[in-house]
Amino acid sequence: MATTTETATGFDLALSEEQELAQRTARDFAREKVLPRAHDIDEQGKVPRELITEMASLGFLGIYAPESYGGAGLDALSYALVSEEINRACASTGVVMSSHVSLVVDPLLHYGSDAQKDRFLRPLATGAKLGCFALSEPASGSDAAAMRTSARRDGDGWVLNGTKNFITNGASADIAIVFAQMDPKARHRGIAAFIVEKGTPGFSVGKLEHKLGIRGSDTAQLNFQDCRVPAANLLGEAGAGFKIALSTLDGGRISIAAQAVGIARACLEDSLAYAKEREAFGKKIVEFQAIQWKLADMATEIDAARLLVWRAATLKDRGEDHILAAAQAKLFASDVAVRAARECVQIFGGYGYLTDFPAERHYRDAKITEIYEGTSEIMNLVIAEEILKE
Amino acid sequence: MAASDVKFLVCLKQVPDSTVRVKVAADGKSIATDGITWSISPYDEYAIELALEHKDGDPSTTVSVVTVGPARSRDALRQALAMGCDDATLVIADDKAGGLDVAKAIAAIVKEAKPDLVLCGKQASDDDQGLVGPALAEALGWPHVGMLTKIAAAGDGVELWREIEGGHEVWSSTLAVVGLVHKSAKEPRYPSLPGIMKAKKKEIPEKDLAALGVTPGAPRAEVIAMEPPPQRGGGKILKADGDVKALAVELARLLHEEAKVL
Repeated sequence: MATTTETATGFDLALSEEQELAQRTARDFAREKVLPRAHDIDEQGKVPRELITEMASLGFLGIYAPESYGGAGLDALSYALVSEEINRACASTGVVMSSHVSLVVDPLLHYGSDAQKDRFLRPLATGAKLGCFALSEPASGSDAAAMRTSARRDGDGWVLNGTKNFITNGASADIAIVFAQMDPKARHRGIAAFIVEKGTPGFSVGKLEHKLGIRGSDTAQLNFQDCRVPAANLLGEAGAGFKIALSTLDGGRISIAAQAVGIARACLEDSLAYAKEREAFGKKIVEFQAIQWKLADMATEIDAARLLVWRAATLKDRGEDHILAAAQAKLFASDVAVRAARECVQIFGGYGYLTDFPAERHYRDAKITEIYEGTSEIMNLVIAEEILKE
Repeated sequence: MAASDVKFLVCLKQVPDSTVRVKVAADGKSIATDGITWSISPYDEYAIELALEHKDGDPSTTVSVVTVGPARSRDALRQALAMGCDDATLVIADDKAGGLDVAKAIAAIVKEAKPDLVLCGKQASDDDQGLVGPALAEALGWPHVGMLTKIAAAGDGVELWREIEGGHEVWSSTLAVVGLVHKSAKEPRYPSLPGIMKAKKKEIPEKDLAALGVTPGAPRAEVIAMEPPPQRGGGKILKADGDVKALAVELARLLHEEAKVL
């Protein structure tokens, strides 16, 4: 008969020593270097480049890329831990990191040739260069296969024409992964992914978007006008672009879910601190059950969301299918973040509506987690498809 | 100081993290340690930084770390390795081991490792005794310099900068020497993620006091009671009801006679 004293198998929630250390480094760095700047980053609409450089020197920008390519050689779970900590301090800084790691370093790691890894992955993993992922267009977001940016074969290279929209890090990135349609009739089978360097003739940055939240990360339009890209910069097979985009986003969702957990945790921690100080009717507001219930709900939902994130990351680390787990983590965690932010503003009351306090920033930052890297509606679609497969 | 191959040994102590809200334990003479976060004592982190800065400038430098404490102290050593230290030794001892016993144990490690410089934080942030560093120097018969903020090579010895009121002094010393490190302008580095992975591959040998020839003596000092500081009383508000001058006189009197700050 099996006994309950065997600990080698079963559901183990313990982090490894290096995962704990990574979490701790990120927590200390976020608290000491990022949090004090979060208000200014939001107000001035810019994450200082030196902050990104500092994150790069700590290995955050190549966290799970192998050491042989200049990465830190950790895993997806460590990345989720680091993401939560950075986003707990500042969601703008968090998304600069996550767009770079999940959407650029990751596909190069999985689909890049050895030569591409040497040339592009290495400077991205060390953080010497910053990356962006150019999939969305003015007329195609969730329906990515409807993209109009075209790729035409021309001698030993490709010529790109079109416009990409809502590109996180678009203005500051040195390297872009750009998706383009080779044959519109082939729909998603006609899409290819290209590595395009800033400075390539015909590639320019268009207007910068003004956003509700995550205002410190730049969101830009990218324009391609007869932009010639060498054949060596084709990522994966021609026609595999759609698959690359979707599988990249599957993994990326884990870090957006971790971002949502980080924002929700900021809401809880700030609410707790405020409720213990603020007095009404002769006592601290934390003594009122109305406030306690909000805090208890927030804490429970954050824990549940975090467990979904850790599960998805662990599946990814084991090389197992994580499409369903990642979509569930993102759907749930983003919902938790938005709700936690609403309650945070409510607990702060009138002060929650002022930019002098962090609550309104969390409220504005939380919303995007329900939209980017797959809207909540797309998450539901993915989840439904997965559970209907059986 | 020799031009290359300088050996540092940094002694560190694992203490409750500065963010921990300390509570007195049920026994009334220690702190409750359940579930608290432990860290390298802050002055010890400055000591590590000082040694690693030297290593940054001269890669032939070796920076070793040692701690004397319970098994959980291994985490602090792992963190020091992740910051960039080369090797670490854990001497297992009860966390109530007396400062003199700790100093004797480290002295035994020093005799084996033969470092050129031994650095300690000037005091640990838990008991603030500041005992181990000077006791270690005494046990070794080495000179020691306190309030250290900078180390510079000078001939065969070193120049040691120490902070004093309104400025600094520069002392010179022969090697070997024990330095007690104060807070300096350069903040201790974070352990980097690549550093964490390098540290993972390193073994941390474990020794016990007996193997180092140290027999813990009976405690020479004992904590009898520990209590949190009294709750702060409410402030006193003076009402301004027209006579501002009388109010100022009263305020001055209170500051002088009651608060005793004037």
